[in-house]
Amino acid sequence: MTNTQLVVEHLSKSYSVKGADVQIIADLTFDVAAGEIVSIVGPSGIGKTTLLKCLTGLQSITSGSARIDGKPIDGPPEEMALVFQEYTRSLMPWLTVEKNVRLPLKHLRLPKSEADERVRAALASVGLSQAVDRFPWQLSGGMQQRVAIARALAYRPEVLVMDEPFASVDAQTRFELEDLCLKIRDEFGMTIMLVTHDIDESVYLSDRVVVLGHRPAIVTRIVDIDLPEPRDQISTRAMHEFAELRTEIFELIRAGAIPAQPVQGK
Amino acid sequence: MKPSRRTGRIAAAPILFGALGIVLLLVAWQWGSTRVTSEGALPAIPIVAQALGGLFAEGAFWTDVLLTLGIALLGWAIAAVVGVALGVLVGTSDIVFSATRVVLEFLRPIPAIVILPLAMLVLGPTGEMGVFLVVFGVMLPIAAQTAAGVESIDPVMRNTARSFGMKSGEILWRVILPGASPFIGTAMRVAAPVTLIMAVVAGMLGGAPGIGSALTVAQSSGRSDLIFAYVVVLGVLGLLVQAAAGRTERRLLHWHSSYRKGN
Amino acid sequence: MSTAPVTSTTVIRTAAKAKRARSRRPMLLALEIGVPVLLLLAWWFGSLNSTDPFFPPLRDIVAEFQRLWLFDKFASDVLPSIGNFVLAYLIACAIGISLGILLGLSKPLFWILDPIVQFVRSIPAVALLPIFIATMGFGNEVRVFAIALASIFPVLISTIDGVRAAEPLLLETARVYRLTRWERLRDIYIPAASPQIFAGALVSLQVAFIVMITSEMMGAARGIGALTLLAQGSFDVKGMWAGIVLLGILGYLANLVFTLVRRRALAWYLGAQKAASAD
Repeated sequence: MTNTQLVVEHLSKSYSVKGADVQIIADLTFDVAAGEIVSIVGPSGIGKTTLLKCLTGLQSITSGSARIDGKPIDGPPEEMALVFQEYTRSLMPWLTVEKNVRLPLKHLRLPKSEADERVRAALASVGLSQAVDRFPWQLSGGMQQRVAIARALAYRPEVLVMDEPFASVDAQTRFELEDLCLKIRDEFGMTIMLVTHDIDESVYLSDRVVVLGHRPAIVTRIVDIDLPEPRDQISTRAMHEFAELRTEIFELIRAGAIPAQPVQGK
Repeated sequence: MKPSRRTGRIAAAPILFGALGIVLLLVAWQWGSTRVTSEGALPAIPIVAQALGGLFAEGAFWTDVLLTLGIALLGWAIAAVVGVALGVLVGTSDIVFSATRVVLEFLRPIPAIVILPLAMLVLGPTGEMGVFLVVFGVMLPIAAQTAAGVESIDPVMRNTARSFGMKSGEILWRVILPGASPFIGTAMRVAAPVTLIMAVVAGMLGGAPGIGSALTVAQSSGRSDLIFAYVVVLGVLGLLVQAAAGRTERRLLHWHSSYRKGN
Repeated sequence: MSTAPVTSTTVIRTAAKAKRARSRRPMLLALEIGVPVLLLLAWWFGSLNSTDPFFPPLRDIVAEFQRLWLFDKFASDVLPSIGNFVLAYLIACAIGISLGILLGLSKPLFWILDPIVQFVRSIPAVALLPIFIATMGFGNEVRVFAIALASIFPVLISTIDGVRAAEPLLLETARVYRLTRWERLRDIYIPAASPQIFAGALVSLQVAFIVMITSEMMGAARGIGALTLLAQGSFDVKGMWAGIVLLGILGYLANLVFTLVRRRALAWYLGAQKAASAD
């Protein structure tokens, strides 16, 4: 049942800053099976967003490889959708919520009825059916993020990649959206990869957690989360194993933390 | 790694391409001048250069340049004083705003050139007519922008100043003008090219002294080499005016906090 | 309602201020309407018996206005002027926006053309007219061409700026969802640049108007500008005033139409700006 969908091997990424090379990511190797939920956690500034951009083909990989369904990633793959951290700037201000969510579907050339249905369903699952004709600037930050998520959902990617999607949403909404992730995975078999600062969230949602550490970044450890399913906000979080896993990950992150200094490239 | 060479190469690219563009234009011009047969319609580059050289040697030319620049500058300064004063009044007083609103809204989009005939009639082909046209051309946009600038000032600041017992004059000088200065600066900069246009139009059509009327004389006597020479001169003047205006804007913005270094 | 004494005085003071503001509104409205009307009346009655050669009675000006433009010279002069103006402006916008998009997207092309654009745009637009007159005479087509060329630059430059300033995250989003180049252009670059494009288009409108009038005054037999200058030259002061008034009205109308179009097209932008400034 589990077939590997995403394979990352010895991925490294360097930037050129003022002519010198700065290595952000040293060597990452992990894989993601279809239908898995994988969280990527690590200290601030370690390069999680850079990793996501490499995996979604928005930036090039310096060395190593990343493959999706066997094909190398050298441009945004059709099977992936990315929800950005800076959601306010990723929504088109001249389009209503409904048109924003519809945007990726135009390109897919779906029959209108199917596109309509997808948009309606996506907005309903993030709880924004009322906001169809509003403009992004009329919505709060959390609502805008939900529109960005709905947009990705309407696209029905095989792999949904999210960069701190729930960071600026209130706690109640966050729990709802976390459960939404679980529901999407169960209903559509979508693989989900998300970067998060919230360790509790990573433990609650994931099948595995990839912990990044050190500079340049490497995989400190991949932690298996074998909490029972279906997960539940109250009972799962109250479990003994939950707290242990959370502690383990927290300590891993702390061990791999970077000193707070600017890095000189060579 | 060879860092400096790589960045050096990248920085040089715009300049190289730009030079290429200029060269292409000059080549096209020269080629065009040999193809166009109607007498001297598109004069060859050396001919224009010669005419330019001739102009530089003439005292009258430099007088014309100074006159045109002078008319533009004087008009700009007068428009600034009157425009800012008007704008401050409109921005600070509800009464003035309401009373003048319809009139200003109607007059503002009208280009000054429409009253050129009247100005010519009343003031004749003089420098004063040129200054008048320039003032008419830029005064209202400056006033409008100043009013917007005044309105953008946080009322808390004004009330604070008043509660400190500052008198109206001081508030004007220390709170209102500095607060509106970014808008005023922008308006002055945007107005600068218009002053030059108006000064030239006053010369071309109204006979006001300066490059404008010299250009018309060249045109009516069919001297295309001189026409092109004058146009080149005007282009250079235009660049100078814009550069000067940019400087002025920066000076005025010096007052405004957002322009201080560290932003 | 309020707790400490300080807040209660503030509440009272703001309430009083609001009340004063409300009671002022009818007076302000009266001023808004009344002052222009008064000014017009003052001009009318003040000039009724004027013998000043330069400022004839308003009544005579109005009469001359009606005699000339409605509808004696309407077809022969007003329509051609307006027609040339509109045609030249639309051409300028079409070329300016297309070229602006091209230059905004292609760095090398921009680098090549930028010095030329910067220089030519610094030339006062009206100064280009003598070149056209000398080289191509002054038929109607030439005039339209000259006006268009002179007015291209503001909208061209602002289009370039708008395209370059397109929010990078929007473009990355387009890449994530694999929009084609044309889709990116149509759905992202153009809407994102539209506020800037409109700003430049407004300046181009004003330039086109000025150049149109100047071109007519420089040597044309027909057109509002031509007639007005002719009147001035032959001391037909009333005719000159009639021309001035008509030109003023046309300038105002052109601006008005533009503003209305802009308000429709940029409704999203104006709304977003208002929301942003409300903080």
